Amino acid sequence: MRAAIAAAMSRSKREIPHYYLATTVDVTGTVEWLAARNASVPVTQRLLFAALVVKAVALGCRELKGFSGFHREGRYEDSDTVHVGVAVALRGGGLVAPAIMDTADKPLNVLMEEFRDLVARARAGRLRASELSAPTIIVTSLGDSPVDTVFPIIQPPQVAIVGAGAIAERPWVVAGQVVPRQVLGLSLGADHRVTDGRLGARFLARIAERLLDPGSL
Amino acid sequence: MDRDELARRVLQLLTEIAPDVEPASVIPGIDFRDQFDFDSMDTLNFAVALHRELGVDVPEKDYAQLASLDKCVAYLYQAMP
Repeated sequence: MRAAIAAAMSRSKREIPHYYLATTVDVTGTVEWLAARNASVPVTQRLLFAALVVKAVALGCRELKGFSGFHREGRYEDSDTVHVGVAVALRGGGLVAPAIMDTADKPLNVLMEEFRDLVARARAGRLRASELSAPTIIVTSLGDSPVDTVFPIIQPPQVAIVGAGAIAERPWVVAGQVVPRQVLGLSLGADHRVTDGRLGARFLARIAERLLDPGSL
Repeated sequence: MDRDELARRVLQLLTEIAPDVEPASVIPGIDFRDQFDFDSMDTLNFAVALHRELGVDVPEKDYAQLASLDKCVAYLYQAMP
Protein backbone atom coordinates (compact mmCIF):
# COMPACT_ATOMS: atom_id res chain seq x y z
CA MET A 1 0.00 0.00 0.00
CA ARG A 2 2.69 2.48 1.03
CA ALA A 3 4.78 1.57 -2.00
CA ALA A 4 1.79 2.08 -4.34
CA ILE A 5 1.08 5.51 -2.85
CA ALA A 6 4.76 6.43 -3.09
CA ALA A 7 4.89 5.39 -6.75
CA ALA A 8 1.75 7.33 -7.71
CA MET A 9 2.75 10.46 -5.81
CA SER A 10 6.34 10.38 -7.08
CA ARG A 11 5.05 10.14 -10.64
CA SER A 12 2.64 13.00 -9.93
CA LYS A 13 5.34 15.28 -8.56
CA ARG A 14 7.73 14.34 -11.38
CA GLU A 15 5.32 14.73 -14.29
CA ILE A 16 2.61 17.19 -13.28
CA PRO A 17 3.42 20.90 -13.01
CA HIS A 18 1.08 21.59 -10.11
CA TYR A 19 -0.30 24.93 -9.13
CA TYR A 20 -2.18 25.42 -5.89
CA LEU A 21 -4.95 27.84 -4.94
CA ALA A 22 -6.76 28.22 -1.65
CA THR A 23 -9.62 30.28 -0.33
CA THR A 24 -11.50 30.56 2.92
CA VAL A 25 -15.27 30.39 2.76
CA ASP A 26 -17.75 31.49 5.42
CA VAL A 27 -20.01 28.42 5.47
CA THR A 28 -21.99 29.34 8.60
CA GLY A 29 -25.29 29.37 6.71
CA THR A 30 -24.59 25.98 5.15
CA VAL A 31 -23.55 24.46 8.49
CA GLU A 32 -26.83 25.70 9.99
CA TRP A 33 -28.80 24.43 7.00
CA LEU A 34 -27.18 21.03 7.37
CA ALA A 35 -27.77 20.83 11.13
CA ALA A 36 -31.44 21.73 10.69
CA ARG A 37 -31.83 19.24 7.87
CA ASN A 38 -30.11 16.45 9.80
CA ALA A 39 -32.23 17.15 12.88
CA SER A 40 -35.41 16.69 10.84
CA VAL A 41 -34.62 13.33 9.23
CA PRO A 42 -33.92 9.81 10.58
CA VAL A 43 -30.28 8.93 11.21
CA THR A 44 -30.11 6.89 8.01
CA GLN A 45 -30.74 10.02 5.94
CA ARG A 46 -28.26 12.37 7.58
CA LEU A 47 -25.62 14.01 5.42
CA LEU A 48 -22.01 14.82 6.14
CA PHE A 49 -20.66 18.20 5.06
CA ALA A 50 -18.14 16.36 2.89
CA ALA A 51 -21.02 15.09 0.74
CA LEU A 52 -21.94 18.70 -0.03
CA VAL A 53 -18.35 19.41 -1.08
CA VAL A 54 -18.32 16.35 -3.34
CA LYS A 55 -21.53 17.41 -5.07
CA ALA A 56 -20.41 21.03 -5.40
CA VAL A 57 -17.17 19.89 -7.03
CA ALA A 58 -19.05 17.62 -9.45
CA LEU A 59 -21.32 20.47 -10.50
CA GLY A 60 -18.32 22.78 -10.84
CA CYS A 61 -16.66 20.26 -13.19
CA ARG A 62 -19.72 20.32 -15.38
CA GLU A 63 -19.57 24.09 -15.66
CA LEU A 64 -15.86 24.51 -16.35
CA LYS A 65 -13.72 22.20 -18.44
CA GLY A 66 -10.16 21.30 -17.57
CA PHE A 67 -10.50 19.76 -14.13
CA SER A 68 -12.32 16.47 -14.59
CA GLY A 69 -10.62 14.13 -17.02
CA PHE A 70 -7.40 12.33 -17.86
CA HIS A 71 -4.05 13.50 -19.23
CA ARG A 72 -2.59 10.56 -21.15
CA GLU A 73 0.10 10.19 -23.79
CA GLY A 74 0.69 13.89 -24.00
CA ARG A 75 -2.87 15.09 -24.32
CA TYR A 76 -5.76 15.95 -22.07
CA GLU A 77 -9.31 14.79 -22.54
CA ASP A 78 -12.14 16.17 -20.46
CA SER A 79 -14.49 13.42 -19.28
CA ASP A 80 -18.10 13.39 -20.46
CA THR A 81 -19.29 12.31 -17.06
CA VAL A 82 -17.88 13.38 -13.72
CA HIS A 83 -16.89 10.63 -11.31
CA VAL A 84 -15.65 12.24 -8.10
CA GLY A 85 -13.25 10.10 -6.09
CA VAL A 86 -13.34 10.44 -2.33
CA ALA A 87 -10.06 10.05 -0.48
CA VAL A 88 -10.51 7.59 2.39
CA ALA A 89 -7.82 7.22 5.05
CA LEU A 90 -7.39 3.65 6.22
CA ARG A 91 -6.79 2.85 9.85
CA GLY A 92 -3.23 1.74 10.33
CA GLY A 93 -2.12 3.92 7.41
CA GLY A 94 -2.71 4.24 3.72
CA LEU A 95 -5.22 5.94 1.53
CA VAL A 96 -7.58 4.98 -1.27
CA ALA A 97 -9.87 7.12 -3.42
CA PRO A 98 -12.80 5.20 -4.90
CA ALA A 99 -15.27 6.96 -7.19
CA ILE A 100 -18.88 7.92 -6.66
CA MET A 101 -20.02 7.30 -10.24
CA ASP A 102 -21.94 10.00 -12.18
CA THR A 103 -21.64 12.26 -9.16
CA ALA A 104 -23.16 15.37 -10.69
CA ASP A 105 -26.43 13.61 -11.51
CA LYS A 106 -27.06 12.11 -8.09
CA PRO A 107 -29.37 13.67 -5.51
CA LEU A 108 -27.60 14.30 -2.20
CA ASN A 109 -29.27 11.43 -0.35
CA VAL A 110 -28.21 8.91 -3.00
CA LEU A 111 -24.72 10.38 -3.14
CA MET A 112 -24.42 10.15 0.65
CA GLU A 113 -25.59 6.54 0.71
CA GLU A 114 -22.95 5.58 -1.84
CA PHE A 115 -20.31 7.63 -0.04
CA ARG A 116 -21.05 5.74 3.19
CA ASP A 117 -20.92 2.42 1.41
CA LEU A 118 -17.61 3.26 -0.28
CA VAL A 119 -15.92 4.28 2.97
CA ALA A 120 -17.17 1.15 4.72
CA ARG A 121 -15.97 -1.10 1.92
CA ALA A 122 -12.67 0.76 1.59
CA ARG A 123 -11.96 0.10 5.26
CA ALA A 124 -13.06 -3.52 4.96
CA GLY A 125 -10.79 -3.96 1.93
CA ARG A 126 -13.69 -4.73 -0.39
CA LEU A 127 -13.42 -2.17 -3.19
CA ARG A 128 -13.55 -3.11 -6.85
CA ALA A 129 -10.56 -2.22 -9.03
CA SER A 130 -12.90 -0.33 -11.37
CA GLU A 131 -13.97 1.94 -8.50
CA LEU A 132 -10.35 2.91 -7.90
CA SER A 133 -9.53 3.67 -11.54
CA ALA A 134 -12.76 5.55 -12.31
CA PRO A 135 -12.28 8.95 -10.59
CA THR A 136 -11.96 11.87 -12.97
CA ILE A 137 -11.13 14.20 -10.05
CA ILE A 138 -10.68 13.60 -6.31
CA VAL A 139 -11.93 15.38 -3.21
CA THR A 140 -9.76 15.01 -0.15
CA SER A 141 -11.36 16.14 3.07
CA LEU A 142 -9.39 16.48 6.28
CA GLY A 143 -12.43 17.83 8.08
CA ASP A 144 -11.87 15.60 11.10
CA SER A 145 -8.29 16.76 11.57
CA PRO A 146 -7.03 20.09 12.94
CA VAL A 147 -6.13 21.35 9.46
CA ASP A 148 -7.11 24.68 7.90
CA THR A 149 -5.95 24.09 4.34
CA VAL A 150 -4.93 21.00 2.38
CA PHE A 151 -2.33 21.36 -0.40
CA PRO A 152 -3.43 18.33 -2.35
CA ILE A 153 -1.38 16.30 -4.83
CA ILE A 154 -3.01 15.19 -8.06
CA GLN A 155 -3.38 11.48 -8.73
CA PRO A 156 -2.32 10.84 -12.33
CA PRO A 157 -3.73 10.57 -14.95
CA GLN A 158 -6.18 13.04 -13.36
CA VAL A 159 -5.47 16.75 -13.58
CA ALA A 160 -7.05 18.25 -10.47
CA ILE A 161 -7.84 17.57 -6.84
CA VAL A 162 -9.91 19.61 -4.38
CA GLY A 163 -9.06 19.78 -0.69
CA ALA A 164 -11.28 20.69 2.24
CA GLY A 165 -9.91 21.42 5.71
CA ALA A 166 -11.75 21.42 9.01
CA ILE A 167 -14.62 23.84 9.51
CA ALA A 168 -13.56 26.13 12.33
CA GLU A 169 -14.96 29.14 14.15
CA ARG A 170 -12.88 32.21 13.29
CA PRO A 171 -13.17 35.99 13.59
CA TRP A 172 -14.65 37.20 10.32
CA VAL A 173 -15.71 40.56 8.95
CA VAL A 174 -19.39 40.80 8.07
CA ALA A 175 -20.78 44.21 7.09
CA GLY A 176 -17.85 46.00 8.67
CA GLN A 177 -18.09 44.13 11.99
CA VAL A 178 -15.80 41.38 13.28
CA VAL A 179 -18.00 38.46 14.23
CA PRO A 180 -17.44 34.73 14.91
CA ARG A 181 -18.23 32.62 11.84
CA GLN A 182 -17.77 29.01 10.74
CA VAL A 183 -15.18 28.99 7.96
CA LEU A 184 -13.86 26.33 5.62
CA GLY A 185 -10.50 26.24 3.86
CA LEU A 186 -11.12 25.13 0.32
CA SER A 187 -8.17 24.41 -1.97
CA LEU A 188 -7.29 23.20 -5.42
CA GLY A 189 -4.28 21.41 -6.81
CA ALA A 190 -4.39 21.56 -10.62
CA ASP A 191 -2.27 20.77 -13.66
CA HIS A 192 -0.57 23.61 -15.55
CA ARG A 193 -0.45 21.49 -18.69
CA VAL A 194 -4.23 21.88 -18.84
CA THR A 195 -5.33 25.00 -16.94
CA ASP A 196 -3.97 28.19 -15.38
CA GLY A 197 -4.54 29.94 -12.11
CA ARG A 198 -7.23 32.24 -13.42
CA LEU A 199 -9.45 29.38 -14.55
CA GLY A 200 -8.58 27.47 -11.37
CA ALA A 201 -9.72 30.46 -9.33
CA ARG A 202 -13.03 30.51 -11.21
CA PHE A 203 -13.44 26.80 -10.58
CA LEU A 204 -12.82 27.22 -6.86
CA ALA A 205 -15.21 30.19 -6.77
CA ARG A 206 -17.94 28.14 -8.49
CA ILE A 207 -17.53 25.37 -5.90
CA ALA A 208 -17.73 27.91 -3.08
CA GLU A 209 -20.86 29.50 -4.56
CA ARG A 210 -22.53 26.12 -4.73
CA LEU A 211 -21.60 25.36 -1.14
CA LEU A 212 -23.17 28.63 -0.05
CA ASP A 213 -26.42 27.66 -1.74
CA PRO A 214 -26.95 24.09 -0.48
CA GLY A 215 -30.47 23.99 -1.86
CA SER A 216 -28.87 23.97 -5.32
CA LEU A 217 -26.89 20.82 -4.63
CA MET B 1 -30.88 -5.49 28.96
CA ASP B 2 -28.32 -4.92 31.73
CA ARG B 3 -25.29 -2.70 31.37
CA ASP B 4 -22.81 -5.51 30.70
CA GLU B 5 -25.01 -6.96 28.00
CA LEU B 6 -25.44 -3.49 26.50
CA ALA B 7 -21.67 -2.97 26.50
CA ARG B 8 -21.20 -6.27 24.67
CA ARG B 9 -23.79 -5.37 22.05
CA VAL B 10 -22.30 -1.93 21.51
CA LEU B 11 -18.80 -3.37 21.11
CA GLN B 12 -20.13 -5.89 18.63
CA LEU B 13 -21.83 -3.14 16.59
CA LEU B 14 -18.68 -1.03 16.73
CA THR B 15 -16.59 -3.80 15.23
CA GLU B 16 -19.27 -4.51 12.63
CA ILE B 17 -19.11 -0.97 11.28
CA ALA B 18 -15.32 -0.87 11.75
CA PRO B 19 -14.26 -4.44 10.88
CA ASP B 20 -10.63 -3.37 10.89
CA VAL B 21 -10.83 -2.74 14.66
CA GLU B 22 -9.91 -5.66 16.90
CA PRO B 23 -12.66 -6.00 19.58
CA ALA B 24 -10.25 -7.08 22.31
CA SER B 25 -8.13 -3.98 21.73
CA VAL B 26 -10.89 -1.46 22.50
CA ILE B 27 -10.19 0.45 25.72
CA PRO B 28 -13.57 1.51 27.19
CA GLY B 29 -12.45 4.82 28.69
CA ILE B 30 -10.56 6.22 25.69
CA ASP B 31 -12.24 8.02 22.81
CA PHE B 32 -12.55 5.98 19.61
CA ARG B 33 -11.00 8.87 17.72
CA ASP B 34 -7.83 8.66 19.77
CA GLN B 35 -7.71 4.87 19.69
CA PHE B 36 -8.34 4.18 16.03
CA ASP B 37 -8.86 7.40 14.09
CA PHE B 38 -12.64 7.22 14.27
CA ASP B 39 -13.96 9.95 12.00
CA SER B 40 -17.31 11.58 11.24
CA MET B 41 -18.21 8.87 8.73
CA ASP B 42 -17.55 6.17 11.34
CA THR B 43 -19.65 8.08 13.87
CA LEU B 44 -22.53 8.33 11.39
CA ASN B 45 -22.31 4.61 10.55
CA PHE B 46 -22.18 3.81 14.25
CA ALA B 47 -25.29 5.93 14.89
CA VAL B 48 -27.08 4.15 12.03
CA ALA B 49 -26.15 0.75 13.49
CA LEU B 50 -27.29 1.75 17.00
CA HIS B 51 -30.60 2.86 15.56
CA ARG B 52 -31.05 -0.34 13.59
CA GLU B 53 -30.07 -2.75 16.36
CA LEU B 54 -31.08 -0.98 19.56
CA GLY B 55 -33.83 1.32 18.35
CA VAL B 56 -32.13 4.46 19.66
CA ASP B 57 -32.01 7.41 17.27
CA VAL B 58 -29.08 9.47 18.54
CA PRO B 59 -29.48 13.09 17.40
CA GLU B 60 -26.46 14.69 15.77
CA LYS B 61 -26.03 17.11 18.67
CA ASP B 62 -25.46 14.11 20.98
CA TYR B 63 -22.73 12.48 18.87
CA ALA B 64 -20.15 13.55 21.46
CA GLN B 65 -21.86 11.12 23.84
CA LEU B 66 -20.83 8.26 21.55
CA ALA B 67 -17.12 9.14 21.69
CA SER B 68 -15.94 6.15 23.76
CA LEU B 69 -17.37 2.78 24.80
CA ASP B 70 -17.93 3.98 28.38
CA LYS B 71 -19.68 7.20 27.29
CA CYS B 72 -21.72 5.30 24.77
CA VAL B 73 -22.99 2.72 27.25
CA ALA B 74 -23.86 5.40 29.81
CA TYR B 75 -25.75 7.41 27.22
CA LEU B 76 -27.59 4.48 25.65
CA TYR B 77 -28.48 2.92 29.00
CA GLN B 78 -30.69 5.88 29.86
CA ALA B 79 -31.91 6.38 26.27
CA MET B 80 -32.95 2.78 25.54
CA PRO B 81 -36.67 2.32 24.87
